[in-house]
Amino acid sequence: MRRRFSFFLLLTVVFAAVLAAFADDLASVRHSGVLRWAGDQEGGGPYVYPRSDNPNAVTGFEVDLATHLASHLNLKAQFVQGEWTELPEMLQTNRTDVILNGYELTPQRRAMMNASIPYYIYALQLLAKKGSSILTTWADLKNANARLPLKIGVLTGSAAEVYMRTFCGESAAKVTCEVIGYDGNTDAMREVETGKLDGALEDTPIATFYAPRFPSLAFIGKPVSEGYYVIYARKGEPALIQAVNTALISMIRDGELEGIYREYGIWNDEQQRLSAIADSAKFYGYPEAAETGKKINGGPAEVITTGVRERGWTVVRNYSGVLLESAGMTVILSVLSFPIAITIGIFVAIGRLYGPRWLRFPLGGYVEFLRGTPLMLQLYFIFFFLPELGVAIPAFWTGILGLAINYSAYESEIHRAGLQAIPHGQMEAALSLGMSRWLAIRRIIAPQAIRLVIPPIVSDFIALYKDTSVCSVITIVELTKRFSVLSMSTQATLELVLITGLLYLLMSYPVAVLSRRLEHSRAMA
Amino acid sequence: MITAHQISKRFGQHEVLQGVSMKVEPGEVHAIIGPSGAGKSIFLRCINGLESFHSGSIQVGDLQLTPQTDARGDAALLQSVRKRVGMVFQQFNLFPHLNVLQNLCESPVHVLGKDRAESETLAMQLLDRVGLAAKKDSYPRQLSGGQMQRVAIARALMMKPSAILFDEPTSALDPVMAAEVLAIMGQLARDGLTMIVVTHSMSFVRGAANKVHVFENGRIVESGPTQRVMQSPEHPVTKSFLELTS
Repeated sequence: MRRRFSFFLLLTVVFAAVLAAFADDLASVRHSGVLRWAGDQEGGGPYVYPRSDNPNAVTGFEVDLATHLASHLNLKAQFVQGEWTELPEMLQTNRTDVILNGYELTPQRRAMMNASIPYYIYALQLLAKKGSSILTTWADLKNANARLPLKIGVLTGSAAEVYMRTFCGESAAKVTCEVIGYDGNTDAMREVETGKLDGALEDTPIATFYAPRFPSLAFIGKPVSEGYYVIYARKGEPALIQAVNTALISMIRDGELEGIYREYGIWNDEQQRLSAIADSAKFYGYPEAAETGKKINGGPAEVITTGVRERGWTVVRNYSGVLLESAGMTVILSVLSFPIAITIGIFVAIGRLYGPRWLRFPLGGYVEFLRGTPLMLQLYFIFFFLPELGVAIPAFWTGILGLAINYSAYESEIHRAGLQAIPHGQMEAALSLGMSRWLAIRRIIAPQAIRLVIPPIVSDFIALYKDTSVCSVITIVELTKRFSVLSMSTQATLELVLITGLLYLLMSYPVAVLSRRLEHSRAMA
Repeated sequence: MITAHQISKRFGQHEVLQGVSMKVEPGEVHAIIGPSGAGKSIFLRCINGLESFHSGSIQVGDLQLTPQTDARGDAALLQSVRKRVGMVFQQFNLFPHLNVLQNLCESPVHVLGKDRAESETLAMQLLDRVGLAAKKDSYPRQLSGGQMQRVAIARALMMKPSAILFDEPTSALDPVMAAEVLAIMGQLARDGLTMIVVTHSMSFVRGAANKVHVFENGRIVESGPTQRVMQSPEHPVTKSFLELTS
């Protein structure tokens, strides 16, 4: 036991030393030849979203930006998928080199990470239904004569939410507007369209990019509350962020950035100020001036927009394939992790029932701890905390390990119940025939318990297999995550819900049928 | 062969055995009778280590069980005792997932390491002896109670034990089936098998037992050759018990 522990310690030290050797980010990035940049394609257009012709690949102005940026640094850009709110953790645990995904410049983030100069100046745009009589100006939100408070939708956790909550909270006498948070970029816009909300406050790129998808919405007033999107890198290593800044300044000066933004239709007058920032080169003390290139002006011939919303069979035809592929990930995750869960579960159950007294308490603790804490937290722990101790496990294996360990607790309880359901006389008869306890468990008790536990094990498997969706928090894209991503970028939620649900059902139903057969054949034996 | 010396056992405050002693020579058949709750079954289970006890000792050949004997720590000792002393239970305890032949061969093959074919030959001989050769492929749930108990006896015999303990083997059976089982047991007694039998069947006691022990409240109140105890009981408990069961 002690030797094991010191071995683990040694391993940790070795890992830490290896990590320290690669601590110079720019050097290690140069060494790999690849610039990894993290974003969440679920966030949707125009930032990073699945291509409609090949939903496995991503597109968006940030994809183009990353590609151009990387080539300035003589690197290849590589997109790393992660949950939007988890991106700083991914940066911290060296799963990406930079964050590039509509991350606003905030004092809190600057305290944790190195920020680049801004690459986009966003503002917040209020939207309402065209021809609405209730909401035509910002002032309407303060109208104390209105019968009910106006409902405004925002993206949860965004700058828009903070702004709107402050704005609505200022009403002195009476609440005149109410803020409702949504998880998807365009959820609020859809709710306005259907009349459930009176208005939505969106970042200007989203409002502009998705305008064609929501023709019944109108912009209300001028955009408010400007802010900056910046690129973040790990703190303490200024070389990488300096290289990024140099590249951004050059892209701003020679109009390369403008070209990208015009392509996505998100160039506006505000962005002119990026040049001023680049020229002064003084953004939070960034001193270096870059060489001036020739200015490319004018937009591309064709602006990339979202086009009309796809509907019905088109959605099924275009996205079934990629959903099916993601279903494969779901199947692999569950099929690999469940046998491990069953095996650990069996040993834990046997240990608790027949093992020595000193073993029972820790095993009981194991089960209660794993059942009593959410799977998501356990995955976080393995994925984001263990790397800080020097143990970095790739996302895929983290998923397998996390699911297996979490479900081993449930499995052990099922096996324990199964073993306990076998009459005591069976064990006594086996012992009185000279069998050892272990042989009796193996030959007499377990074979009888199996038939009892098949149905609960199958339900547990189906539960696990749906729980694989939690793995999206550790950057794995499986069926549910793929659904969310596509639903955000296409707005064809109804069709996608139906396909996704059908895929889950197609996968779980055969398992249920198989289980009934198995039970039946066991009962016959 | 089997010697129990001053066995005492408590469940909390309740003393279920209070200094029980018994000596069984090879080839003898001892019957244990007495009212329910007198500690008969508990005593029997102490002999092959299914129950622990608080004082006294049990000698099986050269093996000795004491209050210190630990189910886990002395697993090997207990296993050796159980290989020598088989047991037949009131509830039969056949293995429901195995057929009759498999029930018989399980332990010889997996505990003694015997060849399966050889075990099956022995099993068929024993099944023939208990009159169930035709049922070798049946599963326990397809058998009557009497048949199950006869299979259980054959299963105990498979280990070639020096002695077999019978814990109320016919109490769960109707009179007809009980008679089948008792007939087999009588035959085993005549063949010279050492047996300790807890039973309520006075006809079996009269016909097969060499000695009788009468239990009451965790003690042996009377003990002696069958003839003597049955015909001229000395203790009032024995007298009233015999009156009630005759």
